[in-house]
Amino acid sequence: MDISVGLNCPTCGGAISLPEGETTISCQYCGSALFVEGDQGVTTIAFKNKALKDAAVASTQHWWTHGLKARDLKKVGKINEAYPIYLPFWKTTTRVAGWICGYEERRHTDQKGNVRVEKIPKEVMVLQDYVFSEIACDPGDLGIRTLKNMVGETSFADFDMIPTFEATTSKDAAVTKAKGDALAKARASAHVPHVTFEKLHVFAKALTMIYYPIWVVRYSYRDRMYMDTVDGVTGQVMSGRAPGDPLFQALAVTFGAAGGGLVAAGSIIYAGASYANDVRIAGVGLVVGAVILFLAYRFFRHGSERVQGEFKEKHAGVGDLLKQAQQVSKTLEGLR
Amino acid sequence: MKQKDKLFYCAQCGTMHVRNGGVEKLDYEIAEFSPNAQGEKVFMPFWRVYASLIVRSKNVEGGTLFKIANFLKGGDSGNMFIYIPAADLNTGDFRRMAVQFTSSPPRYSTRLKFGNEVRIPAAISKQEAAELADFVVVTMEAEQPGVLQRLDYTLTVNDTKLVYLPYVRNAQGQLMPGL
Repeated sequence: MDISVGLNCPTCGGAISLPEGETTISCQYCGSALFVEGDQGVTTIAFKNKALKDAAVASTQHWWTHGLKARDLKKVGKINEAYPIYLPFWKTTTRVAGWICGYEERRHTDQKGNVRVEKIPKEVMVLQDYVFSEIACDPGDLGIRTLKNMVGETSFADFDMIPTFEATTSKDAAVTKAKGDALAKARASAHVPHVTFEKLHVFAKALTMIYYPIWVVRYSYRDRMYMDTVDGVTGQVMSGRAPGDPLFQALAVTFGAAGGGLVAAGSIIYAGASYANDVRIAGVGLVVGAVILFLAYRFFRHGSERVQGEFKEKHAGVGDLLKQAQQVSKTLEGLR
Repeated sequence: MKQKDKLFYCAQCGTMHVRNGGVEKLDYEIAEFSPNAQGEKVFMPFWRVYASLIVRSKNVEGGTLFKIANFLKGGDSGNMFIYIPAADLNTGDFRRMAVQFTSSPPRYSTRLKFGNEVRIPAAISKQEAAELADFVVVTMEAEQPGVLQRLDYTLTVNDTKLVYLPYVRNAQGQLMPGL
């Protein structure tokens, strides 16, 4: 259904009806060309809450059974309440256009151990649209900061029944962040390690406020309270905290310490053998052993609570830990 | 989602203007359709930026052919028309049209009014067009043989004009040039 705005022509006083979104019209009585000005608004979209309470609870209970959570969570855990809310998000589309030129260096080592550095010139055009989303209010301890899903039925029909969080951050701040994010992504996508020339232009193409339905599910486990959130459109768990399992922690530290020690000791023994006789093997083995021990310790340290989502103090995931481990090994390699 | 036009056209007096804190009248021209153009006729907006380019220095790896070609053309500096599509196009179409029309500017006769033909909404402002002109210039330099490493240049925008070029929508819904 089209929405029309009723106005009076300032020239002849005739009643004019203007379709929503239009800004220019010709008065049907006197023919005056009119331009309608008002506050510059933001396009607002609300997604329809498709998930019912039972589905949100079922998603939570299904989530309990995955990801090294307490093994008896499904049996002992008790849902206390589940209710939907609308959270506001800024969604911006930003275009980056420009060029990044420079070079990358590749090291080649010949059989005598001589190192030759090859300089490979690169010129990369960046012309890409980037979508950025960010929550437009304080998310508290919900663990939601960005919007992953942008597809679904839109409707404002649920607005009267579902509590809605008001936007508290400005659109200008959102646009500034989106531009910074797009620039960073553009530079990363170019893969030019040594930049000699860069000219990038950033344009904010579109800004939308999205109200997104989310189910908050609170549950208890052995007298402790936990919470997770379920996507009201897709029905998937978005974020949450759940109890870990002491057995997994104990296994991790036991096998981690044993495995790390075996790898380190094995590499030292192998490096010392007459047919290998290469100290580098021992160095690599020590690093790998230390990484295994580090990962096991991290799991032991934080394994009492499993966390999913975008929490500020979120513990590093396996991917992050592997990145950390790679950085440590690179640093050690550089020191040798 | 319905695309809003950033530009306002008065069919009574033929004035095109933009509102961004105040009214700014725009200089524009409308290209005439080819007599052979068949199908749904539309006008695509372009910013035609007249700019002066001065290349002070550059460094191109493996650009032998580039230098020869450049020498024949008579240098790196001069005035040029840069065409920037003003419609909301995808990145591929944007680049293709910008480079194509800048490297070989369209020739057309003009008409005074749009008539009943549809104007595709303009989504790119005059200021953005000036920035994108800079991008098109570097693109044309970079697309020469060799790998661009450094470009020290100045691009001064002397004038910007809005040009509506004719396009025809074919049976598949694609827009084809109607010149």
